[in-house]
Amino acid sequence: MEISKFTNWFKEYGWRHLVGLMFVTFAIYPILFVLTNSFADFANLTNSKLIPNSLTLKHYKLLSGDPLVPYFQWLYNTYKVAFLAALFNVFLGTLAAFAFSRLQFRGRRAGLLTLVIVQMFPSFLAFVAIYLLFFQISDVAPFMGLGTHFGLILVYLGGSIGFNSWLIKGFMDTISPSLDEAAKVDGASEYQIFSKIIAPLSRPILVVIFVITFIGIYSDFILAAIFLKDKNLWTVAVGINTVFVDDFNADWGVIAASSVIAATPIAVLFIFFQKQITGGLTAGSVKG
Amino acid sequence: MGAININNVGKIYPNGTRALEDVNIEINDGEFVVLVGPSGCGKTTLLRMVAGLEDITEGEISIADKVVNEIAPKDRDIAMVFQNYALYPHMSVYDNMAFSLKLRKLPKDEIDQKVKDAAKTLEIDELLERKPKALSGGQRQRVAMGRAIVRNPQAFLMDEPLSNLDAKLRVQMRAELGQLHSQLETTTLYVTHDQVEAMTMGDRVAVIRKGVLQQIDTPREIYLYPKNIFVAGFIGSPAMNFVYADIKTSAKGTTLIFGNDKISAKDAPEALKEYEGKEIVLGIRPEAFEDSVYANKKEFTEEINIDVSLLEQLGSDTYIHFFKDIKPVQTEAIEEILADEGEDISVLGTQTKFIARINPNATIEEGQNINLAIDPTKLHYFDPETGMAIT
Repeated sequence: MEISKFTNWFKEYGWRHLVGLMFVTFAIYPILFVLTNSFADFANLTNSKLIPNSLTLKHYKLLSGDPLVPYFQWLYNTYKVAFLAALFNVFLGTLAAFAFSRLQFRGRRAGLLTLVIVQMFPSFLAFVAIYLLFFQISDVAPFMGLGTHFGLILVYLGGSIGFNSWLIKGFMDTISPSLDEAAKVDGASEYQIFSKIIAPLSRPILVVIFVITFIGIYSDFILAAIFLKDKNLWTVAVGINTVFVDDFNADWGVIAASSVIAATPIAVLFIFFQKQITGGLTAGSVKG
Repeated sequence: MGAININNVGKIYPNGTRALEDVNIEINDGEFVVLVGPSGCGKTTLLRMVAGLEDITEGEISIADKVVNEIAPKDRDIAMVFQNYALYPHMSVYDNMAFSLKLRKLPKDEIDQKVKDAAKTLEIDELLERKPKALSGGQRQRVAMGRAIVRNPQAFLMDEPLSNLDAKLRVQMRAELGQLHSQLETTTLYVTHDQVEAMTMGDRVAVIRKGVLQQIDTPREIYLYPKNIFVAGFIGSPAMNFVYADIKTSAKGTTLIFGNDKISAKDAPEALKEYEGKEIVLGIRPEAFEDSVYANKKEFTEEINIDVSLLEQLGSDTYIHFFKDIKPVQTEAIEEILADEGEDISVLGTQTKFIARINPNATIEEGQNINLAIDPTKLHYFDPETGMAIT
């Protein structure tokens, strides 16, 4: 009797817990591994384990104390670049999306199509071109040329605005056009319709786009590595990789510690915006 | 408050479709005019042209004696109520109502006063802090109205504002809107698809078909003297019965012959004589019939014999359906009215169907053969070719 009750429970619900548990383990393991290894006193990856024998803070000390490793400067740079790029991304993407969603103008369809087609080429293809482009810009306008944060932000913007505009436009298309008309009759200008009605209503998708773009740029290595030369302007990914990784050796303890420090604010950000992010991802599927 | 003049207005969309043709309507200051017609007849387009949401391709529209063809909606001093209310979902009821006033940069305390006054008029002062999502359909409708009246505009434009409400609430809101109008006396142009709404609310009703104004008059005039088959068939529920009838004139008067029945026309228009020996379309409203047992013989002087095929007892009224072995009237207008109800001409079958409204006390059963009295002064005559009333 007892056994069949358990079997029934397992058939009905229990297996879901089991599957869920598997996924959680799968997701947590690397995080846990990085976390414990950032405190571990191992020489390299091969003799590391999940639970280390002895704990140490030396990796953290190295990151915070060594004058040759301006880790917190890198961290600040990363935040600055990611934040500004994500912010402009959302701002410009929203403006573009509003135009494509609401305004009638010549070349609207062609513009939309171009955005999609251009997005289809992976940005790696453009590395050489981007490098040369900014190499020449450096001569004319050094403040936004190669090796500057401004230039890097521009590159990031160029890479993602198109796609994001599409996403935002898709969301805006689900907002009833009668709201625009009501606002128009109420006395709103085209810009007021955008700023007071459409943009606030698009907030769920804007938050999602901001967070996704922010994280994408935050964890980017290749573009930043190509672009940034000055040690004090490096982002975390570039700095750690350049200083602690060489051809034959990598200091995994420091890499793990730096990952922990860099990832914590992002995790907090996620928890903070959790509701809006999931809301934004599912919004538009059901008209409210 | 102001009058609205619609002069020779036409609308052609960029793709060449014609939505409206040569429409002339003069709406007096403080008047409540209802635009009614089947879906796609152009009534909403006309309203949107008055609002400034559609370009005016032909003719001229003026509001309060000012031509508005080239004036932006926000400068026309009109307020519009939309079918889906179009409340701003991210703003509270208060902010929804205050939005237009804020855009006009009115002082804060004045805005506050106006919003609160409007909210009181509509009995929504309890809801000011709520978001539209937390409101019922009827409350949203009120807020939409509030957003319009708070501005005290020259005119209200309403686009099927009650169509999203359930039947019971619609009747209630209909009455409230009527009351509100007599209180505010603001010129109102109201679009509806529902002819009952049109009849009960409008000072005047404008019937539109395929972009052409058919008739504009008081509800009573439209009901009693429809200008053509379309207006006659569209206004009135149940709809007017139509049947082909032959005309025979003699010294005694005019006789109408349809199928095996003959009735003599009383007060028939002179012009009917010109149709001698020809076929016309005879229109009979359901209430022009009466069970001969209950009929007042002074009015209901004619009689026909019928077999009751269906009996509908509503309590206050009884409707009987019956058929006559006559080819049903099939004109373009009737086809269009049927299409609007989601039917096509094939439902007419091969027999002419009639619906009669009779005294609810009548003891009649389905399948029974009875005599049905007719009031011949309430007959309508139409030219089968043009569909126009013969007067």
